[in-house]
Amino acid sequence: MNRYAYFLGCITPNRYPGIELATRRVLEEFGIEVLDMEGASCCPAPGVFGSFDLRTWLTVAARNISIAEEMGADITVTCNGCYATIQEAKHLLKQNDELKNKVNNILKNIGREYRGTVEVKHIIEILDENIRYETIQKRIKHPLKGIKVAVHYGCHFLKPSDIRMHGTVERPTILDDFVRALGAESVDYEDKMMCCGAGGGVRAANLDVALGYTRRKIENMVDAEADCLITPCAFCHYQFDTGQIELTEKIGKKYELPVVFMTQLLGLALGMSSEDVSLNKNKTQIQTFTSKLS
Amino acid sequence: MSEEPRIGVFVCHCGLNIAGVIDVKELTEYARTIPNVVVAMDNRYTCADPGQEEIRKAIKEHKLNRVVVAACSPRLHEPTFRRTVAEAGLNPYVFEMANVREFSSWCHPSTPEEATEKAKDIVRMAVAKARLLQGLETIEVPVTNKTLILGGGIAGISAALDLAAMGFKVYLVERGESIGGHMAQLDKTFPTLDCSICIEGPKMVDVSRHPNIEIISYADILSVEGFVGNFKVKIRKNPRYIIAENCTGCGECRDVCPIEFPNEWDMNMGVRKAISVPFEQAVPLVYTINMDYCIECYKCVDACGARQAINFDQKPEEIELEVGTIITATGFDIYIPYDNSLYGYGRYNNVITALELERLILAAGPTGGKLVRASDGKKPHSVVIIQCVGSRDVNKYEYCSGFCCMYALKHSIQLKEKYGDDVEVYILYIDMRTHFKGYEEFYQRARDLGVNFIRGKVSHIIEDPETKNLIIRAEDMALGEPIELVAEFVVLSTAAIPSKGTEEMARILNVTRGADGFFMESHPKLKPIDTATDGIFLAGACQGPKDIPYSVSQGSGAASRAATILSQPTWKIEPIIAVVDPNKCRNTKAKCGICETRCPYGAIKAPEGQPAQVTTAMCHGCGTCVAECPADAITQMHFTDAQIFAQIRTALEKNPQDKILAFLCNWCSYAGADLAGTSRFEYPPTIRAIRVMCSGRVDRDFVLEAFRLGAGMVLVAACHLPYDCHYISGNVKMKARMEALVKIFEKLGLSPERFRVEYVSAAEGVKFAELIKEMTEQMEALGKEEIKAENEKLQPTLEKMLSKKQA
Repeated sequence: MNRYAYFLGCITPNRYPGIELATRRVLEEFGIEVLDMEGASCCPAPGVFGSFDLRTWLTVAARNISIAEEMGADITVTCNGCYATIQEAKHLLKQNDELKNKVNNILKNIGREYRGTVEVKHIIEILDENIRYETIQKRIKHPLKGIKVAVHYGCHFLKPSDIRMHGTVERPTILDDFVRALGAESVDYEDKMMCCGAGGGVRAANLDVALGYTRRKIENMVDAEADCLITPCAFCHYQFDTGQIELTEKIGKKYELPVVFMTQLLGLALGMSSEDVSLNKNKTQIQTFTSKLS
Repeated sequence: MSEEPRIGVFVCHCGLNIAGVIDVKELTEYARTIPNVVVAMDNRYTCADPGQEEIRKAIKEHKLNRVVVAACSPRLHEPTFRRTVAEAGLNPYVFEMANVREFSSWCHPSTPEEATEKAKDIVRMAVAKARLLQGLETIEVPVTNKTLILGGGIAGISAALDLAAMGFKVYLVERGESIGGHMAQLDKTFPTLDCSICIEGPKMVDVSRHPNIEIISYADILSVEGFVGNFKVKIRKNPRYIIAENCTGCGECRDVCPIEFPNEWDMNMGVRKAISVPFEQAVPLVYTINMDYCIECYKCVDACGARQAINFDQKPEEIELEVGTIITATGFDIYIPYDNSLYGYGRYNNVITALELERLILAAGPTGGKLVRASDGKKPHSVVIIQCVGSRDVNKYEYCSGFCCMYALKHSIQLKEKYGDDVEVYILYIDMRTHFKGYEEFYQRARDLGVNFIRGKVSHIIEDPETKNLIIRAEDMALGEPIELVAEFVVLSTAAIPSKGTEEMARILNVTRGADGFFMESHPKLKPIDTATDGIFLAGACQGPKDIPYSVSQGSGAASRAATILSQPTWKIEPIIAVVDPNKCRNTKAKCGICETRCPYGAIKAPEGQPAQVTTAMCHGCGTCVAECPADAITQMHFTDAQIFAQIRTALEKNPQDKILAFLCNWCSYAGADLAGTSRFEYPPTIRAIRVMCSGRVDRDFVLEAFRLGAGMVLVAACHLPYDCHYISGNVKMKARMEALVKIFEKLGLSPERFRVEYVSAAEGVKFAELIKEMTEQMEALGKEEIKAENEKLQPTLEKMLSKKQA
């Protein structure tokens, strides 16, 4: 398939539209058509919504999926939360006919129906499986030689592992391989598989706890002498970028590790400028990173 | 038996247990009206001596040739009354029981009239079956009074020595070069801290010297054929390139051999020569050349000299043995946690498994008993032992490996006793399980020695890149917070898992395995050593993790179980088996063989162009092949098609639309229904039950016939899936068959609730009662008229489907 319905979610259009820009640009570079999902809403967030009211969460998710079903295109996402919601909603609706009937009874009121005819693919999966890293490697104009990247996977991309099916959740390599394909180095750092701190409503409920996580992760990445960190998730991206500013304000110590979305990193390697991939719109500085690029 | 049936019916009051609800006089009166019943009488206690005497008298007086007792469950007194009729000179199999206590008086106490009516049906059904009963002869097979033991670990050794002492010939087959098993690998044993090889070594020597025991080591089992008393076993003896009879075990060849390779016996931490024994105490003490490493310099040949024990041309040798019983004692393996990335085994040099520690602290081990770190060769000053690595883990092995708590205590005590305050020992555990003789005291001893016990699961381990020390992140449940420990050495108490080849061995022996992969016993409580295949027994950890005393006891237990067969000149087999009519079998004309694929025991073979044949002694009498045979060429003795059809027709003679016709398997669902009765759970008297040995016997045609006759509902009840079936997988076969039938019914327009397949265990009396209540409610909700209308619609199709049965 070379056309995808791009499900944006909330964070990307509202806080980091640069993620959408970079993703569209790189996908188009590889001949993949990116389609708008007219009328798509919040996914809604898997932890917070789903754990309060499963049926409502499921119904809204099914509505979003039904938009792509009408378009006849599989869905792609650039946020682990959206990925979790759409994939888990599909999983539940496939396994439980009773639930599916309930959801469809509600959707009937707005003239919609969930059929289960489209798949969801994370942007990582499109790059790895559809385009393939070897192809990407051949198209690189600006190899990221000498750049040290700290990879952050994010929880929802890997877990629950029996639904995600990405293999080991403790030592995954799919993103590290991506970084290496671009010519950069993926540095190992302590607690690499730790959460960014934002998910599960923690950021909203208790910012100090969330920032505690962020601080530990950032400090470990800095200890490993990373030039930047990359994420495949808009929410993690938000937490690391905005979180560093918040941390600096709260404790006075300066945190300034550049935060790069994975498609932004790819764009740079393909020869785009940091403006082309909207990296300059980050809150945390990027100069220490961009100065190393040339 | 072509003679006219002369049936006697004996109705039991069972004190007031039956007579308190059912009108026994009326029931007896009724029995007299049934065709072929020549005498019917009632008795207060039929099972007591006077009651039995009355039956014996009546058999003689009235020349009875069939007997029906209307009393309790056949699961209780069928054997009693079979004996009674045999004593009066009849064949024990011309007896039939009508269960009017568990199935009527006890479960319908508040509706005595309906209970009496139901009892009449039950008696009539029993008489219908009795008319068609045939006398059966018990089958006897000869017994070869030799035994084969698979696996030379401590369980197999115990079994071998016991059987040999009883005077039976024992073949002890071992896959490895030496007998001894895991016990020979260990340093000390808990809780006494005896030297392991010092107590096992003499036993190993006893085995090798016993005139009744023949050790066949370095050998594989290729195939097992036959049945209880008469197994034929093919074995391949792998070449050692040494002539065993000539080898004196002097070791002069090893001394000159220039090649070393990793010694698996030392968990690959030490080395052995290309010609060597795995350890000094090996039994038999015969050397082996490892051809993967040998450079054929022939120095060993020179060293051996006149003894001429080395033969580079040795070939694998196949032998065949005949034995009466087989004891499986194939042991366990240790889980090597390469795939657990959290604990860093295989990545961090100073993280080892408990079995590796065992070899490190053993005086004869690769380091001469010195505990050292692989990273720097230094003695560690802090050791963290982590429990339940792989075990009790829903992502790996769900079961508890049983002995790890104890060996971790042993290791901690050994470390403290050897190094005292110079080493700090921590045990991180989920639960300490120390519940056998002397075990709890051993735990106390570790505490007294200052071992630190922390309850909590380890999250992950990080290696300090410079010192190669290990940072252990864990949860301390007592503190309720995450903790971090730094240790110079980490020992993982890893799970015990089914030994390599267990799956293949299960196939060769036709023995089932549990969900955990270990061999499964015939019954978890009452037949813990038997397998589902007669004549094959289990000993030791091949059935599930076991420590040494437990393995030794089970070895002796298996020896005793095997001796019950070996001590007999012949072995009696129940005659309730499958018999093929070669004239009806289709396999002669076209390739069929369905029966062969369905038999859970491999007891039926359908060679091309020949009629299928049942190996009588292997047949367990489940009747699955009978139900599956497309040509109806197979008959199950005592549960023939004709007998069961007669029961169905009799049950549905009157008001069929008000009745639930049920097929209950003897071991689970019939027992569950019995339990509903003995527990006095009341349910509506709508059900008419037919007992089959296994749900696998329930032919599709039985269900069709019931609906053709207008049954309100049909129930097939079986043991729970997947492992409860007493015939390995009869319930699985039934399920597949009935699922196909449901699709047909769907097309025919039968209301789906009218045909149920359920799984009721012997312990689920409540479930059974609830099930009948629910089905009765559904039946009433549908309504008589609706059921009748549906039946009328169905009838022509069913008639057509059953036409060959009617002929």
